[in-house]
Amino acid sequence: MMNQVKRRKELRGAAWLWALGWGLGRSVAEQRFPPPDFESGYQLPLTQTPAPRSLLLQYVDVGILAVALALACYLVYRRRSRTGVLALSLFSLVYFGFYREGCICAIGAPQNVALALFDSTYALPLTAAAFFLLPLAVALFAGRTFCAAVCPQGALQDLVLLRPVKVPAWLEQGLSVIPFIFLGAGLALAATGSAFVICRYDPFVPLFRLSGSFMLLLAGGLFLLLGMFVGRPYCRFLCPYGALLRLASIVSKWRVRITPDYCTRCQLCETSCPFGAIRTPVALPANPLALAPERKRLGWLVLLLPALVAAGALLGSRLTPVAAKLHPTVALAESYLDPHRAPTPPGVQTPESLALGRAEQNPTELIASALDVRRRLGTAMVWFGGWVGLVIGVKLIRLSIRSGRTDFEPDRAACFACARCYLHCPNERVRLGLMPASELPAIQPLPAPTLPQTGSHTT
Amino acid sequence: MNPPPQKTSPLSRRQFFRAGARVAGMTGMGLLCGILAPRASARTTVWQIDPAKCLRCGRCATECVLTQSAVKCFHTHAFCGYCQLCTGYFVPEPNGLNTAAENQLCPTAAIRRTYIEDPYYEYAIDETLCIGCAKCVEGCNRFGNGSLYLQVSQDHCLNCNECAIGRVCPGDAFRRIPIDHPYLLKTTSH
Amino acid sequence: MSELSQPTRVTRRRFLWQGIAGASVLGVMGGLAVRAVRSRQGAEDRAPNPFAYEMGHFEQTDASLIAYERVAGFRCPRPDPRRLTFDARGRLCLAAGNYVSLLDTAGATLSEIALPGPARALAAASDGTLYVGLRQQILAFDAQGQRRATWDPPPGKPWLTGLAVSETDLFAADAGNRVIHRYDRSGKPLGRIGERNADRNVAGFVLPSPFLDVELHPDGLLRVNNPGRHRVEAYTVDGHFELAWGKATAAIEGFCGCCNPINLAVLPDGRCVTCEKGLPRVKVYDLHGEFESVVAGVEAFPENAKAGAGDGMTDGVKAGLDAAVDATGRIYVLDMVTGDVHVMANKPGQALAG
Ligand code: SF4
Ligand code: SF4
Ligand code: SF4
Ligand code: SF4
Repeated sequence: MMNQVKRRKELRGAAWLWALGWGLGRSVAEQRFPPPDFESGYQLPLTQTPAPRSLLLQYVDVGILAVALALACYLVYRRRSRTGVLALSLFSLVYFGFYREGCICAIGAPQNVALALFDSTYALPLTAAAFFLLPLAVALFAGRTFCAAVCPQGALQDLVLLRPVKVPAWLEQGLSVIPFIFLGAGLALAATGSAFVICRYDPFVPLFRLSGSFMLLLAGGLFLLLGMFVGRPYCRFLCPYGALLRLASIVSKWRVRITPDYCTRCQLCETSCPFGAIRTPVALPANPLALAPERKRLGWLVLLLPALVAAGALLGSRLTPVAAKLHPTVALAESYLDPHRAPTPPGVQTPESLALGRAEQNPTELIASALDVRRRLGTAMVWFGGWVGLVIGVKLIRLSIRSGRTDFEPDRAACFACARCYLHCPNERVRLGLMPASELPAIQPLPAPTLPQTGSHTT
Repeated sequence: MNPPPQKTSPLSRRQFFRAGARVAGMTGMGLLCGILAPRASARTTVWQIDPAKCLRCGRCATECVLTQSAVKCFHTHAFCGYCQLCTGYFVPEPNGLNTAAENQLCPTAAIRRTYIEDPYYEYAIDETLCIGCAKCVEGCNRFGNGSLYLQVSQDHCLNCNECAIGRVCPGDAFRRIPIDHPYLLKTTSH
Repeated sequence: MSELSQPTRVTRRRFLWQGIAGASVLGVMGGLAVRAVRSRQGAEDRAPNPFAYEMGHFEQTDASLIAYERVAGFRCPRPDPRRLTFDARGRLCLAAGNYVSLLDTAGATLSEIALPGPARALAAASDGTLYVGLRQQILAFDAQGQRRATWDPPPGKPWLTGLAVSETDLFAADAGNRVIHRYDRSGKPLGRIGERNADRNVAGFVLPSPFLDVELHPDGLLRVNNPGRHRVEAYTVDGHFELAWGKATAAIEGFCGCCNPINLAVLPDGRCVTCEKGLPRVKVYDLHGEFESVVAGVEAFPENAKAGAGDGMTDGVKAGLDAAVDATGRIYVLDMVTGDVHVMANKPGQALAG
């Protein structure tokens, strides 16, 4: 009974909406020709309208996210427990991954935020906002604990890791700009309402759903295969949300410290990180003048930065027509205006010919909205191009900055806080009572600073 | 046993920068919240098909991220003619007006045909079988009353950020509608 | 010590080399992205719908069956045209939207009558009176276009879709009540025709959609379409069921889809012109109800064929055809979707023997 009342209510609501939506051409809900009068007393069934997942359950998702984040921080920093982190990440994989089928997900959330910022008609779901903000806020204080134990995509890759190989530094550094570029592209396309590329090209969500296009399933499989030998390849070299978390965790208050106490530079942990995040101690040369050529290069790079940004912006504006094709309206308008368009043979209805038929009904409106999209995309592409230039420039500068380090410690940005390295540290083993303190290796001296090889310089 | 190293100064320059950046980051996120607050809404949206715009292209069956599409055929019985020869149920030139498989238009036999009284039959969709291919919708629209039409069945739909069908829909029929009225049903006023 | 631990130990040559390597990686990725975008409107857009509703060869008409050709045509002066008929003076009466336009045979507007609502039925009496059927009401206009009478709506849920008038009687096809009302010329109800009645051997009209037409035949009987039964039925004016012909098939000799024909016209010699929707086509049936020839096939109405019948406007019509016959036997075909009137005449030398 209740159900029926509810359904009728829904029906009435739908009728109202329908009148609103369709009524543009027709003023009232349609007076339709009635169905036959049945002599057998047959009653017209109501159309069933299954309800969507309730809002309450969506808030449950947010709650679980918050609890999982807090638990992850506790496990990484207080308990320093890899087992705990692993267990939590398994839970996240099952819940956010296989049960929620990769939706809602933090990786795609920046796009929702970008769209909401630029499109006032888009209602940003509170869940998407929460999934965007919570892990980021946590990363500002506690690093990438989200990656360690809450992100299902990360957990999946972490799980298949078999025999990590070291990615050469130049490749690692070169590839690590891609997440930032991907992020820029995703935001630019989302902000203009063109596409949600980050969601579209997520290789793992189809695996969670056990369905999807063949290419994406294949890509997911390949990533997992690669992930057996290269730790978290998607996280390190593609994930756009990871790029944001990287930035946030550079300034985080707490961070992963391999040693619970102090570092003896025993080198036991050096290769323990499957993600190449551990940096070895570096001493700065006593005489800063020894670094003069490097400083000079740094100076040049700083000067180069604006040029890179400008070049990127220019390139971006040049690529606007290509990018605009991603937008269905522009694509349709272009193929409508294409003078070489082959006439569709009669009878054969393809999606293309159907869309063109729609275009023919109202070409002016279509072309106007296509031009509007292209104008907006033009602006977005300039920003995106500039962003790419900036990312590359900053990367070059970062590569040229030399900073001293006394301990073996993970790079703040690159560390996923997975807690693997802890147990490699003899101090940690002493702390856990796994070995007597007397067996601690002696403190090693800082390695001597390596100076630039001035021999190859001509200036 | 190693001697502990000497303590460094309590607040290094770097730590200070970091703290500053953190405050800046939090402020930025706060600002973002401020801007987004009026745009954010608990009344989330869902994807739905405007039946008036659907061109029955068949993509709803092939493009959904789910193996069996979340798009299903819906039936507004108040529009239905209860035809004996339902062009949504039968292939264009059926061998006979019976439920034999070769006479059925639906590729998954998702439509149930029930006799009501002479000469009227009720047609009902079995959601578990329907793949949203719109074949019956085309038949019903072309000859009949258009009482069959496609809708995104919200209990199946994952509510993707960007509906994979809507992206390629030639009729531009997909749009976001408020979650509390998640259907665009055809209704009558009589 | 590993390279990784010392990212700062970079010589100019290595810096350049790494820069080039990095740039080329980026370049290749960018190129791939551009190519992916370029090929976006790929093959899948041009692949035909695997679930297409295939009418196949039924959409082509065998040219040898087409006995008519288009000799003239014009566009309706008003939007939403629904019906046409000829009045006693040979003017073409065209109901479109809230108007009836009186046209000459070349399509020029002679005069117009404004109506309180959209008209779905027309009948012109030999004395010059024009009867117009609105959804629920019948209006009578004199030859000058002055409204002379407004009849009371029939009881029930009337939805008038066809009119025919004789010297003494008016017949109104009421799709809503699934009946033909018989009136005298002053509007007095005289009887109901075609209601389901097993004793009188009347099966009843099956009307999934509001298409019920009535025409007077030279043999004195009424011709009424019964779309849900895919046939044309003949009744005496007293409501005796006399005969029926027609069969359900998408092939050219039958009536296609769930419910056809939708409209009728009668040639001077008594042969019957039928109009269909879904597969829009106009055909001629002989005095025995045998298929004779095609006036215009699906090819003549491409827009109409695309439109789909059901997703109707307020009067339940989105696609459809109507036909009227002038004194010389030319058939005027109205395409309700495009608003065109096609004037069809027998192909010279091809007039099939009736
Ligand atoms: S916690 Fe340790 S092992 Fe894990 S990513 Fe960070 S540095 Fe590497
Ligand atoms: S993709 Fe669009 S046009 Fe095609 S069947 Fe689905 S809603 Fe209709
Ligand atoms: S024909 Fe297609 S849309 Fe219609 S019921 Fe069958 S599967 Fe569903
Ligand atoms: S939103 Fe996603 S699940 Fe729903 S119909 Fe579209 S593609 Fe399918």
